[in-house]
Amino acid sequence: MPTPDHVLVVDDDPDIRTLVGKLLEKNGFRVSKVADGKGLRQLLDKTQPDLIVLDLMLPDEDGLVLCRNLRSRSNIPVIILSARGEDMDRIIGLEMGADDYLGKPFHPRELLARVKSVLRRARSLPDDIQEEEADAIYRFAGWVLDVPTRQLYSPKSKKVFLSGGEFSLLRVFLNHPNRVLSRDQLLDFSHGREIDPFDRTIDMQVSRLRRRLGDDPKKPSLIKTVRSSGYVLAVRVERGGEQPHVADDSSTGD
Amino acid sequence: MSMPERIVVRIDADLAEIAPGYLANRRKDLELLPQALASGDFAQLRTLGHRMKGSGAGYGFDGISKIGRAIEEAAKQENHLGVEAGIAALAAYLDRLEVVHA
Repeated sequence: MPTPDHVLVVDDDPDIRTLVGKLLEKNGFRVSKVADGKGLRQLLDKTQPDLIVLDLMLPDEDGLVLCRNLRSRSNIPVIILSARGEDMDRIIGLEMGADDYLGKPFHPRELLARVKSVLRRARSLPDDIQEEEADAIYRFAGWVLDVPTRQLYSPKSKKVFLSGGEFSLLRVFLNHPNRVLSRDQLLDFSHGREIDPFDRTIDMQVSRLRRRLGDDPKKPSLIKTVRSSGYVLAVRVERGGEQPHVADDSSTGD
Repeated sequence: MSMPERIVVRIDADLAEIAPGYLANRRKDLELLPQALASGDFAQLRTLGHRMKGSGAGYGFDGISKIGRAIEEAAKQENHLGVEAGIAALAAYLDRLEVVHA
C-alpha cells in the first residue's frame, strides 16, 4: 500500500485545523497540525511533510515571512490559506514562493482539489520529456541542474534552492533552449498540463527564477522576455557529466 | 406571536462529525464576545470575528462568516454598537439554526 501523503496544517484557529485535518484525513492524507510558527519549526526539525497549508495571520510570526524562509530552505509545496484575502496579499504570497493561495472562507472541496493539484504539479513531469530526462544533468552558463536530486548549483558550485514551481519551470526552459515559449506553453509544460487560475503565476515564477539565477530583471541575459510572445532561455545547454563538487554545504536562497 | 423562521443549513456528510463541535464553539463565543466588549478589548473582538469569518462557510454556515465579517469590521472601528449588533445576530442565527446532513 502506498504511503499516504503527509500534509502539515499551520493555523492558529483550532476550528480551521479541525476542518482541514478532517477533510484531508477522510481523503487519505496523513495530517499534522500546529498552531504557530514555533510549532512549524519544531515539526520540520523532525519530519518533512509533502505539503504545507499555511495561514498568514499567526500569533508569533507573519506567515509571509515564514513562507519566504521555508522557500529558501526547501522545496516543500506551500498553499497559503488566509482570511486577509486582499489581492496584494495573494500576489505577495505567490511572490514569496507559495505554490497556491486560497482565501478564507473557502469551500473544503476546493481546498482538497488544490492540495491534490499542487502535489501533482510538484511531482509531474511534462509528457514529452518524462522518459529522456529523468536522470539528466543540465549545464548552462556555468550553472548545473541535477534533475534526480532536484538540485541547482551556481557557477561557484554552491547549492541554490528552488521551489517546486521554479524547478519545473527551469526544466522546461532547459528542454527548449533558444526557443520562445508562450505563457500558455510554460503553464502547460511546467504544470503538467493543468491550467492555473492565475496566469500571472508564470510571470512571477519567471521573475523568481531570474533572481535565483542572479539574472538582472531589468536586463536579463539568461531568461529574456520576448514582447507579446513569452520568454526564451537564451543560452547554450549541455546535458550529462558529473555532479559538481559542492563548494560548501551551505545553501543560498534569495 | 409567530415563531421566528428556521434557518435550515444542509451540510456535507463529511462534516457531520465536526459540525456540532464547531457550533458549540460559537456558543462559547456568545460568552466571550460580550466579555471582550465589556472590557473594551477590541483586539480580541477582532480576532473572534476574523476567525468566524474565516471558518463559518467552510463548515457550511455562510451566515456565521457574514456575521464574523461584520463583527471584525465593527471591532476595527471600535464601534461598540456595531459589535453588539453582531453578537445579537450570532445569537439569533444559532437559535434559529437547523442543521440537516446532506
